[in-house]
Order: sequence, then C-alpha cells, then structure tokens
Amino acid sequence: MTYYRTTMIAALLSATAISGAYAADPIKIGVVTPLSGTYAGIGQQVKWGLELATKEVNAAGGIMGRQVELTFEDEEANPSVAVQKADKLFQVGKVDFLTGTVNSGSTLAVGQVAERAGKLIATTVSFADSITGDKCSPNVYRVNARAGQQSAALAVWLSKERPKAQVFYLGPDYEMGRSTVAAFKSSAEKVGASSTGEIFAPLDSKDYTQYFGQLRAAKPQVLYTSVAGNDTVRLFTQLQEFGLLNNLTVVGASGTVTAQNIGAIGKAAEGFVTGVGYSAEIDTPENKKFVAAFRAANKADPDLYGADSYGMIYAYKAAVEKAKSTDTDKVRAAFADLKWSTPQGEKTLRAGDHQAVQTMYVVRVTGGKFKIVSQVKGEDAIGPDTCKRH
Amino acid sequence: MSGAVEYFQYVLAPQMLIGLVLGVAVILVALGLTIIFGLLDVINMSHGEFYALGAFIAVALGTIGLPFWLLLILVPLVMLPVGYIVERGLIQRVFHTGERHVTTLLLTFGLGLVLEDTFGLVFGPNPYKPDIPIAGGVEAFGIFLPSYRLFLIVIGGAIIAAVAFMVYRTRLGAMVRAAAYDRHMAASLGVPVQHVYAGAFAFGVALAGLAGVLLAPIYSVFPTMGRDFILIAFTVVIVGGMGSIAGVVVAGLLLTQVQAIVSLYISPVWSDPIVFGIMVAMLMVRPQGLFGRLGHG
Repeated sequence: MTYYRTTMIAALLSATAISGAYAADPIKIGVVTPLSGTYAGIGQQVKWGLELATKEVNAAGGIMGRQVELTFEDEEANPSVAVQKADKLFQVGKVDFLTGTVNSGSTLAVGQVAERAGKLIATTVSFADSITGDKCSPNVYRVNARAGQQSAALAVWLSKERPKAQVFYLGPDYEMGRSTVAAFKSSAEKVGASSTGEIFAPLDSKDYTQYFGQLRAAKPQVLYTSVAGNDTVRLFTQLQEFGLLNNLTVVGASGTVTAQNIGAIGKAAEGFVTGVGYSAEIDTPENKKFVAAFRAANKADPDLYGADSYGMIYAYKAAVEKAKSTDTDKVRAAFADLKWSTPQGEKTLRAGDHQAVQTMYVVRVTGGKFKIVSQVKGEDAIGPDTCKRH
Repeated sequence: MSGAVEYFQYVLAPQMLIGLVLGVAVILVALGLTIIFGLLDVINMSHGEFYALGAFIAVALGTIGLPFWLLLILVPLVMLPVGYIVERGLIQRVFHTGERHVTTLLLTFGLGLVLEDTFGLVFGPNPYKPDIPIAGGVEAFGIFLPSYRLFLIVIGGAIIAAVAFMVYRTRLGAMVRAAAYDRHMAASLGVPVQHVYAGAFAFGVALAGLAGVLLAPIYSVFPTMGRDFILIAFTVVIVGGMGSIAGVVVAGLLLTQVQAIVSLYISPVWSDPIVFGIMVAMLMVRPQGLFGRLGHG
C-alpha cells in the first residue's frame, strides 16, 4: 500500500515536472489598435492579421520555444487614449513588445511611452513620413510602406499615364493628411506635374460640396486625395453626384479606398489609382497561401493592414531568434537591416530609420476590385534616410 | 459690373445653393430638437442617435427590398412608438425631480452612447450608402445642382411648412403650445398633458429619423453619424430660440449660409468656431434666442 502510494506520488510529481519544463512563460505582445470609432474597420484587419500569424507561429512551436500571447486594447484612433492603454500594457501587462497603432499621432505618442518604458514598438499601418523621418525614435519601427514610398510609386505611374498633369490636392487636416499631400506633391512635381491648388478639410467633414467651387475653378486633370474611411465615401459620392468625376483622374493615398469602404463608395470608386505595399492579387505562392488562410479564418480578404500586421509577427520572430533574447537592446541590434519574407515578397528593415523597404505596387479599382497595374522596385521608391537619432 | 454678376453667378450662387441644402438638412434635424426642448424642457442629447436610427432602419429595410419612397413614410411611423416609449419609460421617470435639467441631460446622453454602440454591434463599423433615388442633375443659369439635392430642398421646405401649420393652425398644435405655456392650466382645461408630452417627443424623434432617411444617400450611414449634426443642431436651437419653429428656420438658414460663404474665403477649420462664436454671442446678448420660446413668443 505504501509502496503503491509512493509510486503514485512519484508519478504525479514527475508528470508535473515534465509539464513544468514545457510551460515556459509566453512572449507577450501588446496590441493597441482602434477597435471602435472611425478606424475600427482598420483595427479589425490588424487584429485578424496578428491573430493569424500568432496562430501559425504558435502551432510551429512559438518563438524560441515560447508561445506568443497577444493582449488587445482599444485606442479609439485617439492619441491620448493610445498613450494610456500603452502605458497600461507596459506597466501592468508587462508586455515585451507593442504594436497595432493606426493613427499616426498615436504611433508618435506611443513611441515616446515606449522610450520611457525601455521597450520597442512597431506600427503596421501609420503612413506619416515623420514617424521614420524627422520624428524618428530608436524604439519605433515601421513594417508598412510610408506615404513617401506610396507617392513615389504613384508618381512614377502618373508620369507615364498623365504626363505633365495639373493636380489638385484635397486632404484631411491633420498629420497624415498634410504629410501625404506634401509627399505626393514633391514626388509629382519632380516628374513634371504642376499643382493647381490644395484644400485641407476637417476630419469627419460631412459635406465636401462647399469646396467644389474651388475645385472646378482650378480645372485639374488629376485629383489627389488622402481622406479615409467615411470621409472617402462622402467625398467620392458627392463628386459623382455633382458630375465632377467625368473628366477627372482620381489618385490618392493607399488608405483612401479599402475593403472597409469600397462597398459604400460603389461605382464612384471606379478608376481610383493608388500606390500600395500590398494587394490580395499579388501572384506569388506565399501570398496565395496567406490569402487562402486569411479568408478561411475571417471570411474576408486581407488588405494592406491585415497583410502588414501578419508580416509584423514574423519580423519580430526573426529578430528575437537572431538575438536569442527578447531584451530590448539585443532585439534592436537584430532588427538592423533585418531581411524577412512576407506575403508581398522580401522586406528589409533599414537600420538607420527603422523603415521597411519593399516592392511597391500601383493598383487601380476595376469592377470593385483592386487590380495591379504596375510595380516599382524597393530601392526606387524608398527615398533617403532622414532620421537623425541613430 | 459684369464681373460682380459673373462672380455671383459662378461663385457665390452655387455656394449659397449648397448652403441651402445643408440648411434644410440642419433645420429638419433641429426642428425635432426644438420641439422637445421647447415643450418638454428636455435637452435631448440623444437626438443625433435618433437621426442615425432612422438612417439605419432605412438601410435595414432597404436591403430587404423596400423602395426609398416607401421608406420615407415607413421610417417616421416606426420611430413614433419608439419615441413614445422612450419618453414614457425613461424620461418621465426622472422628469419630476428638482434637478430635472441635469438628470434628463445625463439620461439622454447615456441613451445616445448606448444607441451608438448598439449600431456598431448590429451593423458593424463600416459605412453603408443607399443609392441616390434621383440620379442626374439640373442646370439653370449656368449653375448645376444634383436633382436629389433639389428634391431635398423642396421636400424639406414642405415638411417644415407642414410642421409649422400643425403647430400654429391646428387644435393639436394649440394643445401643444398651451401645455408648453402652462401645463397645469392646460391640464385643468382637459388637455391630456402626459400624452401631449410623450407625443411631442415621439414626433420630434420621428422628424430626426426622417432627416436620417432623407440624408442617408448623400452623407452615408455609420455608427457615429449622430455626431455630424448634433452640435450645429443645438446651436441653431439656441440661436433661434428654444422651442421656436420660426427661430429654427431662420437660424438654420442663416448659420449654414454664413458657413458656406465664409468657407470661400478662409480655411475650413474656422467654420465651426465661427458658428459656435455666434451661439456664444447670442447667449450673452439675448439668451432667449431670436424668437423666444414655444408658446411664449
């Protein structure tokens, strides 16, 4: 009897000892992303992309044997809320890494929180050039293409299709709007286009018709816009209502027309051209596999936010495995000029400004879908490293 | 001289017409708000969400195939019992306390938040846009206006006229104005004041819902759309006089024209501060607004 009991206790203890050896503590990644408000659709894609990659990585054994755990917080596309949530995740949640910010203002603000907490963050959505430009930070990385890359690719297309065009600019009046318009303006003017006017409308403007007088007076051949979400729905449908789309080529930032609003914009989106870092139509085996897995898990196609967020997890995995640690300084060293493979090809994280360099695609909305019309090589689209904090 | 005429024809007039469409939209939203404010003395912070509710009901009924013209009648009819229940069930409960203004403000604010989140949960965060029922546009004297916007001006005017007629020329309207002026006297003269209150609230939110249906094809439908109009609607109510229908019409037209014309000359970010500046000035100089209160003016 005693012998039996001892054996049982020994068996139980060894069982827990074995499971104890496998239960290494997980790598915690915090995600601060808009789950409500105007950018909720984008946050949803970010969530889907991160979750799919995490599931795949965990199923293959995790990162260095440790499972990856995601913790989500809602930033409501508001920088002050993002800062609070990021602080909470760093101090209370003790996350090793943070990602998910959409609003460029949020990324910049959370970057400062990360510097104070001694941790690294990456954005997979924010476009503003300043994030890896004049407002760069040693703790902030960007895995997606920035406004400068998108506009460089778009400008190349424009110079071929509408040489020496007259361009009118309409952007939302905040960091992203102003920087995307400025970036495209400089790229376009370099290839011979001329500017006939610009307007910055407040975010969430419901009626753009009050600017149509100015637009008509400028007589442009091309309209560049960087509105997003609901604002795009209203701008495009109102342009169509007033018959302004008839002789106008509309181009814009990649966030302007996406899977979230293309349904509501309807026919008014036909012919819209933009430069992007991703399209679900990219014809490579890796992308087809990714799109199929994404569709199966979420019953929706991935867009650039979903794809870039998916790629983010693999970048972090590659860096941690190269550094053999999740320590901030070691991972930072590993991220320098890191090359890793993503559904849209191989990307490089430039050491100087932490900006991803990748092939850019020019896509046009045809029959309600984005069709690739042109490609631009990474080196041609990236532009110089203007970050001063190395 | 011809320069000025041309300027008027090609720059100012189109801008004023655009302002007129916006003005009619704002008046439709603010009309319900002013009736509720003027009669019940309730600051309905959820008025924007009832505007959104009308639009969402239209989207839902539209997807099962009902034509737009039927929705214009159906949606306000559906909103009437909703408004009646909200008034009897929620607002009446906090109405008879001393701090009525605070409690109803908080109650309606909370109701607005709940409604907004419900829209997001039921319909998702992405926008919907019903098709514009009248395509194409009309051109006269070199000025172009889409047909649907012209229709909005016409039907908006008709609705405003109908409401004014009901309030000032019918017996029902007289009962409403009597209850606003002195509810106890009105009650003792046989006016069913409880029902008048609930009915007026229901009517106010039905108007907001109708505005939602009418504007959905041009402004699209999404969970936070209630915030589009609520601030300018309150401004119009305050500037025009709380409860005054003539006030809402005049203030609505005036403020939207100011916004439209001013945006020609200065950056769009200033249009909101200017409108609110007018509201603040009115509150300081003449707090009862241009026309005073319902029943009192």
